[in-house]
Amino acid sequence: MKYESQKIAYNYFVVATLLFGLQVIFGLITGAKYVWDFDPLLNILPFNTARAIHINLLVVWLLFGFMGGTYYIVPEEAKTEIYSPKLAQLQLWLFAAIGVTAIIGYIAGWSWGMPFLEQPTVLKIGIVVVALIFLFNVFMTMIKTKEWTVIQGVLLGGLVMLALLFLFGIFFMKNLTTQYYYWWWVIHLWVEGAWELITGSIMAFILLKLTGVDRELVEKWLYIEVGLVLFTGMAGTGHHYYWIGTPKYWLWVGAVFSALEPLPILFMVIDTLRDVKERKVEIENKLVLYWAVGGVVMHFFGAGVWGFAHTLPQINQWTHGTQITASHGHFAFFGAYVMLNLTMIYFALPQIKGVKVFNQGLGFKAFWTMNFFMIIMVLGLAVAGVIQTYFQRVLGMDYLTTQGFMRLWFAVFWVSAWGFAAGALMYIIDFFTMGRIQKSPAG
Amino acid sequence: MTLSQAKAVFIWGTVSSAVILLALTYNSLSQIPQRTHEDRLDAQVASGKWVWQKHNCNDCHTILGIGGYYAPDLTKVMSYRDAGWMKRFLKDPEKVWPADRKMPNLHLTDQEITELTAFLGWVNGIDTNNWPPKPVAAAAATASEKPGEAVFKAQGCSACHTINGVGGKVGPDLTKVGGRRTKEWIEEQLKNPKSHNPDSIMPSYAKLPEKDREALVDYLSGLK
Repeated sequence: MKYESQKIAYNYFVVATLLFGLQVIFGLITGAKYVWDFDPLLNILPFNTARAIHINLLVVWLLFGFMGGTYYIVPEEAKTEIYSPKLAQLQLWLFAAIGVTAIIGYIAGWSWGMPFLEQPTVLKIGIVVVALIFLFNVFMTMIKTKEWTVIQGVLLGGLVMLALLFLFGIFFMKNLTTQYYYWWWVIHLWVEGAWELITGSIMAFILLKLTGVDRELVEKWLYIEVGLVLFTGMAGTGHHYYWIGTPKYWLWVGAVFSALEPLPILFMVIDTLRDVKERKVEIENKLVLYWAVGGVVMHFFGAGVWGFAHTLPQINQWTHGTQITASHGHFAFFGAYVMLNLTMIYFALPQIKGVKVFNQGLGFKAFWTMNFFMIIMVLGLAVAGVIQTYFQRVLGMDYLTTQGFMRLWFAVFWVSAWGFAAGALMYIIDFFTMGRIQKSPAG
Repeated sequence: MTLSQAKAVFIWGTVSSAVILLALTYNSLSQIPQRTHEDRLDAQVASGKWVWQKHNCNDCHTILGIGGYYAPDLTKVMSYRDAGWMKRFLKDPEKVWPADRKMPNLHLTDQEITELTAFLGWVNGIDTNNWPPKPVAAAAATASEKPGEAVFKAQGCSACHTINGVGGKVGPDLTKVGGRRTKEWIEEQLKNPKSHNPDSIMPSYAKLPEKDREALVDYLSGLK
């Protein structure tokens, strides 16, 4: 850590970590409702509210992680302190307050009702204000730089894209098809566009620092990766326009572009492995290496392979709206974005805390536990999804009867979710105790 | 490859895909009004959409295949439920559909129920490129379906009653009901369930159109 203001990242990581824990708790509550039909919380915390909170917490903690990561990276890239640490603090508190209000609001029945964008309009305006403060602060820091690096350029591009696209999720439209048309500009173009840009630049920064390879090599690959991400991802929005009332040509456009979507992720895997192989310095923080390499591999399988499996219209017409999507959602978000954030946190945290050597035992346990159980979880949901697709869609069995045949696999999913929760808890403990208990390098 | 060549890949990749997306968006927006029958999208439907959003229905139910997977997809629900059934259900879900997995009573006003039903009716007319596809097995079965069987399905009778192993367990098994009960008995039971058993919790189907009730009675009395 070279600049004092990089420490701002710490508070963002604290909030991200706490919300991650809360997200897992709400996930366990939501999942239980699939295992047992009888729901003692039916009138207090019904499925829709629990699901909204589970997913909102995911999105918000990942955003806190991205913001913290940005505040950590930008000073080193721009070679200057953050423009205004006070604004960064204000932004953090404002965003956290909006998040808490939204969650309490959902429980009280205050909702805007589009999935993932359930925040009532007044809170959405607050989120826009948070985004403006953030972008202003980042931009004012970056313009002090003497040399624009590709990493900060792509990062800024991703953040601006993220903020602009959010605007398409604010307005009420009378026509459900049009509403969903633009809803996907937020949901799809975030995760298969803006977030990939942010992820690419954060990964490039970490690989650069970790392996000591040439900046030019890293930045060249970054350009190619994000270029391909946007090339396949933007027109690839079409795979969401197969069945929502949009014209038929999207079946072709969506199929062609989204079939190519795994390609840039594959490049990311190759690039990461090559950087590690051709490293010029010895990698001391092995835990970060594991999270980084594990992250790109899980990103490839979760987003790339699992996504490709049901993206072609011939398959998607049967699987659309089933638990196959839920399986893909869990796998992709964990592989692509949860692991990226944890990579960033494990990279930055020891430096912020000033810990040179720390016991990585718990961190490794958290890594293996979370990964192992997440794989069982997504396999459980995938089997449930295949049953649902076959019984309900192909054979025409009614919805609720089919759910009964899926119950065993919901149970597999839910029990392994407890295993995942144990891994998440290990990470949370590690986060807060790192540096407090000093151990020898051998320990 | 040099850095500037990589930059060119980035710029051209981004620009070309953005142009495709924007051009097709322009075209899609011109086709959506016709494909969704926007002429039928009146104030009542729009209010119904807001009822749908306000109560966060979409985080349990999918619609157009998007949303929560906890409850049935509602894109084409009005193809197999009539408006009367839907209104009775929304007024008190548990009474009409006493399944183990419950929908909470949202305490909607009569006006909200009418609006929401109008919204679902409008959604039913959206051209979804034939999604969801007709199930392969059910397509074969419906070819030989009796009119009364369709009424049985549309009224959601299987929520409580089982026929040939499929259905709920709240009411009696109807697999061989035609052997036990006469046509007249069944008709009376549909009109006034309490006439045979004062404690019956079965809702009355007296408001069912005459034609549908006759078809249903024919179908049930034929189950022997």
